[in-house]
Amino acid sequence: MHTSGYALTVYTAGPAGLIKALADGFEKQGGEKVEVFQADSGKVMARVEAEAGNPRVDVLISASWDSALDLHQRGWLLHYRSPLAKTVPAAYQGPAYVAQGMSALAIAWNPASGTPRPSDWKDLAAPAFQGKVNMPDPSKSGTALELISGLQSQHGAQAWKLFGELRANGMHIAGANAQALNPVLQGAKAAVFGAVDYVTYAAQAKGEKVEIIFPSSGTVVAARPMMIFKSSKKPEQAKRFIDYVLSDEGQKMVANAYLLPARADVPAKRPALDSFKAFAQESDAQRAGRAALLQRFDELFVRK
Amino acid sequence: MTQFKNGSHGLPVFAMAGMAVLVVVPVLFVALQAIFPGAAQADWAQPLSHWRKVWESTALLHLLGNTVSLGVWVVLGALAVGVPLGLLRGLARLPGSALWDLCFLVPFMVPPYIAAMGWILLLQPAGYLQQATGQHAAGLLFSVPGVVLVMVLNLFPVVYFAVSRAAAAAGGRLAVVARVCGASPWQALWRISLPLTLPAMAASGLLVFAMTIEEYGTPAVLASNVGFEVLVTGIEQRLSDWPIDLPGAAMLSLVLMGLAVLAYMGQRRLLAGRSYEATDGKPQALQRVELGVWRVPVLLVFAVAGACATALPLCSIAATAFTGTLSGGMAWENWTLRHFAAVFAHGSEALQALGTSFALALGAAVLVGVLGALVAYCSVRLRSRTAQALDMLSVLPNAVPGIVVAVGLILAWNQPWLPITPYNTWVILLLAYACLLLPYPIRYAHAALQQVSVHLESAARVHGASVWQMLARVVAPLLAPSVLAAMLLVFAIASRELVASLLLAPTGMQTVAVYVWRQFEQGSVGEGMAMSMIAIAITAALVLLAHGLAAHRRR
Repeated sequence: MHTSGYALTVYTAGPAGLIKALADGFEKQGGEKVEVFQADSGKVMARVEAEAGNPRVDVLISASWDSALDLHQRGWLLHYRSPLAKTVPAAYQGPAYVAQGMSALAIAWNPASGTPRPSDWKDLAAPAFQGKVNMPDPSKSGTALELISGLQSQHGAQAWKLFGELRANGMHIAGANAQALNPVLQGAKAAVFGAVDYVTYAAQAKGEKVEIIFPSSGTVVAARPMMIFKSSKKPEQAKRFIDYVLSDEGQKMVANAYLLPARADVPAKRPALDSFKAFAQESDAQRAGRAALLQRFDELFVRK
Repeated sequence: MTQFKNGSHGLPVFAMAGMAVLVVVPVLFVALQAIFPGAAQADWAQPLSHWRKVWESTALLHLLGNTVSLGVWVVLGALAVGVPLGLLRGLARLPGSALWDLCFLVPFMVPPYIAAMGWILLLQPAGYLQQATGQHAAGLLFSVPGVVLVMVLNLFPVVYFAVSRAAAAAGGRLAVVARVCGASPWQALWRISLPLTLPAMAASGLLVFAMTIEEYGTPAVLASNVGFEVLVTGIEQRLSDWPIDLPGAAMLSLVLMGLAVLAYMGQRRLLAGRSYEATDGKPQALQRVELGVWRVPVLLVFAVAGACATALPLCSIAATAFTGTLSGGMAWENWTLRHFAAVFAHGSEALQALGTSFALALGAAVLVGVLGALVAYCSVRLRSRTAQALDMLSVLPNAVPGIVVAVGLILAWNQPWLPITPYNTWVILLLAYACLLLPYPIRYAHAALQQVSVHLESAARVHGASVWQMLARVVAPLLAPSVLAAMLLVFAIASRELVASLLLAPTGMQTVAVYVWRQFEQGSVGEGMAMSMIAIAITAALVLLAHGLAAHRRR
């Protein structure tokens, strides 16, 4: 009853349109058939973990850089450096993983909300935004966790002062990313603190009236790692797939999903990486402290 | 009785084998995962080494308290709404009864997370209600009572369908006898009809409780900002992002299963020591009470319940599906059909998702309908200990989040030594739906069987019928109304199940709910809602068709 015996199996979090385009493109230029499993990061990872005794995945595209680091540390990943990864910034690749593309966290602002246009995170703690700000829940959205972790690494105690002020200003913690954005589109809220940029650009392209603002003091860039599992029975096809995603054609598809292409020499369809201030990638030690960070954040927002 | 037991030997074996494959296997693997942290890699070292970490990172007692109180409030609310409506539907001649059934089935066709989103889009500031009337109700919605209200409106039909079928099967005839003997209508209701539907109330109350304690989306979206967190939040968190903690999630799931067992024993105690037999062989057409002057008020009550539970969330979904953008609101120039056009432009993909979902839902309904009735029969009639244990076991999957059951199914069916496996084929989805939804027919049939006197079956056997003949000609027709109602619920829920489908979908296959979810993830809320509308319309049409066929056959 194996349906995928002769196909390359790709597990992916993230936009459905993108992986479909990539799979079709790969097949068209002579690659094997690509069988895709797509869900949110949590479910993709839960499936990978539950299948650990008998892995089925060849290539994994995750939304969380941490997952790549961790799987690499466990020794589950095949070492591979694609020749096309030369122009991928060093921070966004490793011995066994490379970014497919990146997203940045931003302020999503509804210009019809009657609030002044914010230009930095701290503006959302101003009286004009009292009770009008949503934030994706860091315990449900990996990118939101990256944001508070990145702000803490960058600003230390100042970051916690900001979180405290946002809390005092009535910031609402609102489920995963889409649940935080929809009320802003409808007008119940004025802004999202830490909206995922590509989803918001996609909503904008569909005609929603929403602005994406990159904060002047800087923001977090979340890279989406691709990796090949050691257990893969088709390592050569898997490498070809990674190469394809990093090819001009593949990176153009990534750009079409409003993500930042991983390769610095492929143009983005939205403000590029050098047009806003991005924090450096966090160190391993900073990443390790995230569980404690999340707990402290939950306590601040009186959520147990 | 002994010869009766011996004669039906194949029956329990058949029922138990089915239960073992569908329920015992996944539950067992969830338990293994809870005990052995390395279970996924077949590593059986260090059992329970993680319990301290789980204990320390979870305010277990606090969450347990919230979970139980939410469960109890929702059960009480669902009974308060579902019992009166169910009794009226079962006992009185209600105009448009089939349409009311359909109306109360709709909440089941909508996944809870879409329903919650519908309520938010409707009631939040600047939501559809405010756009239409200038008022919003965010204060009520984003609160604990708001959670209870939304969940009661989603779940009371479970009680309604059970009570209406039970009342029709039992209460009516004996109530007529009571009236003949001089009881007032209220006495007949209070002393006869209501007590006779107790098994149905207890059975559906148990289902509602189990569904409430495993439901994640509604409390998370509506009440996390007022600091109300439930046990299932801890489970979802462990499975929502890196690092994934399967052992911790499985361990907390065992706590939820424990709660379900307690609830199961509670409802058994409630019913113990009394007989509810009302059908004992004197066939008599059900005489439904004429409503008379109460016709209009009763219809009004049904209309209000239908408006709250079905029409309001549906309107919100429709408004989102038919408007171009959320930020454009309900302005004239924003009305559009483009989301529907987009769904049809995806053509084969959308059609494939619809086909997959409805085929699986139909398969699941038939499978669990037959098996559930058999298991209930073995448990009630044969009093087989194993069957009774399985009967209790069947509640467990319903009380834990679907994602945990799905993990159990992967652990079980992805073993490298299996020569052939349903995993990564559509069969695994059927197994998942059957596992999650078996409790409906089992509980409904269980309640119905308690109303049927065993003498009918003995009589059939005495007159020479084989066990299977007796089941087919005597038991099945008596159980049919309840089991069919349960199968309808199963069909509706299976056609939109999201969480297990998302985790278990074979590569390259998607169901309706997965399709809708992917649209939301990409920021295409309107297209997601349009697909939801299409699926609801098809489900409703199929249900009406089935109803029409049944009515035609009766004629």
